Amino acid sequence: MRPDFLSGIRFTDLTWAGAGPFGTKVFSDFGAEVLKIESMSRPDPVRRGGPFKDGIAGTNRSGYFASRNTGKHSVALDLKSPEGRAIALRLIAQSDVVSNNFGPGAMERLGLTYDEVRAVKPDIIYLSMPMYGEDGPLSTLLGVGMTIAAVTGMMWMTGYGGQEKPLGPGTHYPDHAANPYHAAFAVLAALRHRRHTGRGMKIDLSQVESTANFVGTSILEASMRDAEPEHPGNRSRRDAPHNIFRCAGDDAWCAVAVESDAEWLALAAAIGRQDLAGRPDLRSAGGRLAAMAELEAAVGAWTAGRGAVEAASALQMAGVPAARVASARDLVEEDQQLAARDYWQQLDHPEVGPSLFTSPPFRIDGERLELCRPPLFGEHTEAVLTNLLGMRREEIADLAEKKILA
Amino acid sequence: MTEGFRPYAGIRILDMTHELGRYATRLFADLGAEVLRVEPPGGLPDRERDTAAVPGGAEAFAFYNASKKSIVLDLSGNAGRAALADLARDAQVVVLERGGPIGADDIAWLRGLNPASVITYISPYGLGGPLADAPASDLTLQAAGGIAWMTGRGGEPPLRLPGQQAAMVVSVYAAVATAVSLLDAEARGRGHILDVSAQEAIAHSLQNAIQVWDLERRISHRAGEGTRDASENIYECRDGHVFLASPPTTGVSWKSLVAWMRECGHPSAEAFADEKWLDRKYRSRPEARAEFQPLFEAFTRGFTKQELVENALKRRIVMSQVSRVRDVLDDRQLAHRDYFVRMGEGGARFPGAPYKLSEPVWRVAPAPALGEHNALLARP
Repeated sequence: MRPDFLSGIRFTDLTWAGAGPFGTKVFSDFGAEVLKIESMSRPDPVRRGGPFKDGIAGTNRSGYFASRNTGKHSVALDLKSPEGRAIALRLIAQSDVVSNNFGPGAMERLGLTYDEVRAVKPDIIYLSMPMYGEDGPLSTLLGVGMTIAAVTGMMWMTGYGGQEKPLGPGTHYPDHAANPYHAAFAVLAALRHRRHTGRGMKIDLSQVESTANFVGTSILEASMRDAEPEHPGNRSRRDAPHNIFRCAGDDAWCAVAVESDAEWLALAAAIGRQDLAGRPDLRSAGGRLAAMAELEAAVGAWTAGRGAVEAASALQMAGVPAARVASARDLVEEDQQLAARDYWQQLDHPEVGPSLFTSPPFRIDGERLELCRPPLFGEHTEAVLTNLLGMRREEIADLAEKKILA
Repeated sequence: MTEGFRPYAGIRILDMTHELGRYATRLFADLGAEVLRVEPPGGLPDRERDTAAVPGGAEAFAFYNASKKSIVLDLSGNAGRAALADLARDAQVVVLERGGPIGADDIAWLRGLNPASVITYISPYGLGGPLADAPASDLTLQAAGGIAWMTGRGGEPPLRLPGQQAAMVVSVYAAVATAVSLLDAEARGRGHILDVSAQEAIAHSLQNAIQVWDLERRISHRAGEGTRDASENIYECRDGHVFLASPPTTGVSWKSLVAWMRECGHPSAEAFADEKWLDRKYRSRPEARAEFQPLFEAFTRGFTKQELVENALKRRIVMSQVSRVRDVLDDRQLAHRDYFVRMGEGGARFPGAPYKLSEPVWRVAPAPALGEHNALLARP
């Protein structure tokens, strides 16, 4: 389906890079009109970051950009010029939401603070999402997604366990779930609030504060026990065996997670170790934790002789939580569950041709939400200025000449 | 009249989540929805699983179930089901999870009771498909969704992220999809059924790995080969670790970093002056990483975290402290913003709101005891 749930809602969207655009994409995917304001002098860094179709760089060829901006309209505008700012304010006056993920001070420099924006649109919903919040001693610290993982304890806790040096997530993880979706949820709440009160709202989302909730249980544990929580890596603090095991093949792995007595007995039977199933000392989680090395060796010996998919399937059938550790390629080419649920969408693109997109991770009323392709740089500038602001063609040509828009 | 109106005032959510979906319903509860945990006489499964008897259990229960209410209904009998039907007729949202007291088979029944409601069903692999009923856990979902593959050291096993991230990721997606559907249901009187998969949610949050495979036929790997800049790493300093990300393409960070090292007369400054450190391709090679690490660490070892962060602020370098969990409680920026909340008199510090709103509408309250709000079941 192409939902119209949010038709009539308009964003003037100044977000760029990863976390901000991923959050506003939810709205364009559900039928809102998201006007992505793009700068000519400082293009969205993910337009410059790959991957690119066939490895050939180009403003409209980035797959990273594409995946964060489906269904949006691109308006290329020099916000630093007085004329550009005036146009932005006219768009905002007809918008429901203004969104940005700049550092503190940037919206002041553009003359687009909450108060300035409210002056032209009193019930605006204003989303800001700087890294560490808008005020305070570290508010101007520069960072990327991994920085947010670093200061929230998430990087510290991501490791194989024990006293070794932390490793951290392999991606800029906070950019890809915690921050975009907390932001989207806050905007949706503000929309309902406005529906009932007629008032807009300012949302000051510190990406560090948002991500801290993603490790909220660990922070609460440190707080309540005044001790550093153990971080067991792939293992569990509650039961064993619980780890990722090497399988036959190159870099092939299977996750196995026993979390109950029943799962333990099922596992022991599935790997042909009735001797272990019969042992009284292994009938409780505590006993299994005490015998962890022995149990991991037993599982590892069994998985080593099997492919990862074969091992995972056999254990799943037996009632044991297990899964092949999938790479991106495995997900796209081999995952039968994702395929059966029609997870992948191919969208055509004027410069890139057909390319692959993940569906939003749910089915709604039995269907997939159908995505619309991402915009070319400045693709909608003229149409938006003409249709929304009623600007004349000559006026637009004049501004294009002056490099105020593209 | 509208003063003090909270965003989800007037919304009742029947909540039967117990693991993957609990954070989704909590987000609504903190913003004013009445979230009723509908529990069997022995409680939803998390009452038995997340107890003080297991490490982190009590804290997990307190965090995921804050701000909610609890009622007990025995759904194995007709009276219990009739009571649930009464509640469902008036509830705008029902959130179910695989393994809870009401299964996917009952979605049609719930739909019939209240066609304008939003029914959200959260499960490890979604409804339908060969794995719909497959056993799963946080570890196996992080494996099946692709995020474990991307974390860890090359040559060693893939690694999961800490803190039940499968539940966190699927919960925020489920919350957003439910909120959008609710806006539509209220505006147009048409209900919706959402079938949310944790595996899909994780696979949707893999940075650009899907596109890297689709467009360039490369596999993003945990060793970071070919994708991460040599500087992006963790370095020891006098009292802990810092994280640095300083590719020459990002602002002034790299230039500023080398200039600072030179100011200090540190020998690594000369090594970094070599032209090869301006070459993006070179910097993404494993040998560049291996060379970078000791050179920069020789510099950071002379400073404390605080000294390094002060310089990062002053010199616009992308570098921060690597906090242990306890350090987060003492973070001066979080303290300045009054981030943590106290739960009850003299209670422990509790993580604060994920967003600060200009209207005072976010509040958190302790998780409910089993059946604490049974009085809500009494007929008016």
